[in-house]
Amino acid sequence: MAEIAASVPAQANALRRDAAGPSGTKPRHVLSRRNIFLYGTLIMVALYYLLPLYVMVVTSLKGMPEIRLGNIFSPPLEITFEPWVKAWSQACTGLNCDGLSRGFWNSVRITVPSVLLSIAIASVNGYALANWRFKGADTFFIILIVGAFIPYQVMIYPIVIILREIGIYGTLTGLVIVHSIFGMPILTLLFRNYFTSMPEELFRAARVDGAGFWGIYLRIMLPMSMPIFVVAIILQVTGIWNDFLFGVVYTRPDTYPMTVQLNNIVNSVQGVKEYNVNMAATILTGLVPLIVYFVSGKLFVRGIAAGAVKG
Amino acid sequence: MAAAIANPSVSIQDLSLNFGVMSVLKTLNLDVAEGEFIVLLGPSGCGKSTLLNCIAGLLDISEGRIFIKGKNVTWEEPKDRGIGMVFQSYALYPQMTVEKNLSFGLRVAGVPKDEIAKRIARAAEILQIEPLLQRKPSALSGGQRQRVAIGRALVRDVDVFLFDEPLSNLDAKLRSELRVEIKLLHRRLQNTMIYVTHDQIEAMTLADRIAVMKGGVIQQLDAPQTIYNRPVNRFVAGFLGSPAMNFLKGELEAGDVPVFKADGISVPLGRYAFDGDNGRAARPCIFGIRPEHIALGDAAKAMPFTAESTVEIVDPMGSDTLVWTKLGGQIVSFRVEADKMLSNGDAIRIGFDPARASLFDAQSDSRL
Amino acid sequence: MSSLAQPEMSNSERPNQLFRNLNAKVASIPMILTALAVFVGGTAWTVLYSFTNSKLLPRLNFVGVDQYYRLWATPRWLVSIENLLIYGIISLVFSLVIGFVLAALLDQKIRFEDTFRTIFLYPFALSFIVTGLVWQWLLNPDFGIQRVVRDLGWTSFSFDPLYNSSIVIYGISIAALWQGTGLIMCLMLAGLRGIDEDIWKAARVDGIPMWKTYLFIVIPMMRPVFITTLVIIAAGIVKVYDLVVAQTSGGPGIASEVPAKYVYDYMFFAQNLGQGFAASTMMLLSVVIVIVPWAYLEFGGKKRG
Repeated sequence: MAEIAASVPAQANALRRDAAGPSGTKPRHVLSRRNIFLYGTLIMVALYYLLPLYVMVVTSLKGMPEIRLGNIFSPPLEITFEPWVKAWSQACTGLNCDGLSRGFWNSVRITVPSVLLSIAIASVNGYALANWRFKGADTFFIILIVGAFIPYQVMIYPIVIILREIGIYGTLTGLVIVHSIFGMPILTLLFRNYFTSMPEELFRAARVDGAGFWGIYLRIMLPMSMPIFVVAIILQVTGIWNDFLFGVVYTRPDTYPMTVQLNNIVNSVQGVKEYNVNMAATILTGLVPLIVYFVSGKLFVRGIAAGAVKG
Repeated sequence: MAAAIANPSVSIQDLSLNFGVMSVLKTLNLDVAEGEFIVLLGPSGCGKSTLLNCIAGLLDISEGRIFIKGKNVTWEEPKDRGIGMVFQSYALYPQMTVEKNLSFGLRVAGVPKDEIAKRIARAAEILQIEPLLQRKPSALSGGQRQRVAIGRALVRDVDVFLFDEPLSNLDAKLRSELRVEIKLLHRRLQNTMIYVTHDQIEAMTLADRIAVMKGGVIQQLDAPQTIYNRPVNRFVAGFLGSPAMNFLKGELEAGDVPVFKADGISVPLGRYAFDGDNGRAARPCIFGIRPEHIALGDAAKAMPFTAESTVEIVDPMGSDTLVWTKLGGQIVSFRVEADKMLSNGDAIRIGFDPARASLFDAQSDSRL
Repeated sequence: MSSLAQPEMSNSERPNQLFRNLNAKVASIPMILTALAVFVGGTAWTVLYSFTNSKLLPRLNFVGVDQYYRLWATPRWLVSIENLLIYGIISLVFSLVIGFVLAALLDQKIRFEDTFRTIFLYPFALSFIVTGLVWQWLLNPDFGIQRVVRDLGWTSFSFDPLYNSSIVIYGISIAALWQGTGLIMCLMLAGLRGIDEDIWKAARVDGIPMWKTYLFIVIPMMRPVFITTLVIIAAGIVKVYDLVVAQTSGGPGIASEVPAKYVYDYMFFAQNLGQGFAASTMMLLSVVIVIVPWAYLEFGGKKRG
């Protein structure tokens, strides 16, 4: 504790120099009652928050006999990676037994195009709303924002019909479009606010320079807005990867995303429950958003603060 | 309005702009001569920047027409109007170097490479920014940024330059330096320039003619000296001049020699140049006299009007001193040299020439 | 657009408004389609069909409010509503209180603030499915917390919320709070950071104790943050679905059913579309009840101009 070391000479100095009263730096008590309470509470709460992650990890590294006998909190006596291998490549989901890998690749094939498409559409929307206000644009925007609060359950069936009419119900393309639709309100808001906060004169200068709608977007706005694009990507990758409802409604069993497959593996009624495999599968499914979270740090906080409306 | 200009460089006819029910510009007319430097001057919210943006084509107008070089450009895109524009916040593209900033418009227009290089070299030479060409805007000082912004208008090789408060973001010293540079630039290029500012010193020093605006209407359009000496209404009189013009409330008494009367004083207006018959009808009015037109002591004795008074407050301002006193029961300020020793309570004699005063109708505020 | 070479005079005419900003309009087509076709159209469609007796396929065979009558006579729906209310109150109260307290603790200029914040917020990065499955495991009576406590010697200890129909919704709420309070903490922390430092200095000079400053000065100042947070929590509560599916699948029996699951099951399994539409319309109604007063308070009072 550097503070103790620093405060001792300061106190000594104060005593030597002036007997009439305190002087120099204020003495700081590292182990004050306030600090014990403060850090004690925070550490307790932090342990509570970390506990499920810890249990997930230790359970997934144990063998089934050890789980049956032991305590879920105790570390594994004998570490085994068998459950991880099984979760990835052998776990059964009713129809087939090729593990979560299928769901993982489905989720990748859903998430990548959905993220790209939804951000492309929403950034252009936001740019048009911020800089090219045309009559009626704000009305559509308000509908969009209000729409963000409508429960999905109200709109899922009409969308089933629309997708069926176009002939893409049950395909990954269909799900990508659904994600782009439901990502639009929050992302449009995000980009609109960002572009609105940029100096309007920059846009005007580019117009005097003769750049048009797409020219200004691609050559002026896009290079200036990388931070907000990163925020949007974080928001969408975690949001779409974690989606369950749209996955279960708009895809078929062979194209189910990872979350849906995970739920089917863990909650399937047939067979003996293999808790270690379940936990390994659960960690695997949570890994992508967790990595995004830990790598992105502060940007994630900014993203969810903006995207909190999504609920 | 001044006499019609034969071949105006920019001509604005009956221009109106409404945002919803709010009318921002009201049936505005303005002709700018070839090579003329026009300053649009007014307080914030008077519509001066809005008018400039309309000329640039950055705002759609509600009514009227805009001609540039005799061509109707009312609904043209900004780039097709033959204008270059300089913004208050410089509006340099942050991710591009100075050179790329200058050439952006030319590249968009598909100008050949050697032509671009030629024009950039010329602009850089005129503005002395050659050493900065490869830097990003973030590495430039405010003054350098504004020079680059002017350069961006320069390379476009246009007939009309539009300036939107270009010096407002700079500190006082840089502002006066760049003001001189803009004046020299105008002399060298001889382009038409329309310049928006709220700074009366910029307006007075730069303009061939000033258009004073208020509430979306041009109040007066004239040479700076005329606007300063013969303001058409009380707003223009009060807006220009620092320290501001003194206003005395009183009555105009008609007669062979009209007289201005206020509490205890009467100013004969025989030397005042009335507009038409305005001196013939008695009415409540406001008498305006600029602080620098009031003389003190011996100099006052030589003036057609003099009065006794006492010093109330002395404000030394460095180059000169502002003295506050009472005249006709109302507060009046005047300027004296800084070495004049005056203190509160001193008895003084002040005087002025009514020919230099401005008289306004108390109801309509317009010049009598 | 107007850059086409045109004869001089025709150019003075105001161009057709439809073609001004044409690119912006074309680029906004996806937004316009989404707003009109999906959000307005889809919602209107569902509400309309909730008055029909559609079964396997949507049919315009109107039966008035029959579906709603049946809905409110269905025990499963009543359980769902009751669960939603309990879950909603717990979520609102606890996430606001815990979120604010954690934010206030983190706002004490502490060390390792980033580490603590990272720990409190990481569950929010996880999906409800992952959250539900972890807590299903922790609350498993044979292996989880109950077993651990019993192994310690307290053999009569009982903690099996997921297998006890009278308290199962609380078990779900525990998981939801674990996942969501980090977000509330972040919003509150942002709100606290938005408060002028001088307020704290003034309170210190006036000798007001810290808890009083929070209670009587800071919290009232954070009213907008609280309202926004409240709306966010409320909108999330109505949507709760994945968590229940993962943790209990609505069980034991129908003890942990929620409206969103009711809608899904009736639309896609029970082949009773009319019921599903009626139930989803009720969900919409509940959101409207939350949103409209908020929107009125937030935007209605202070009209521009």
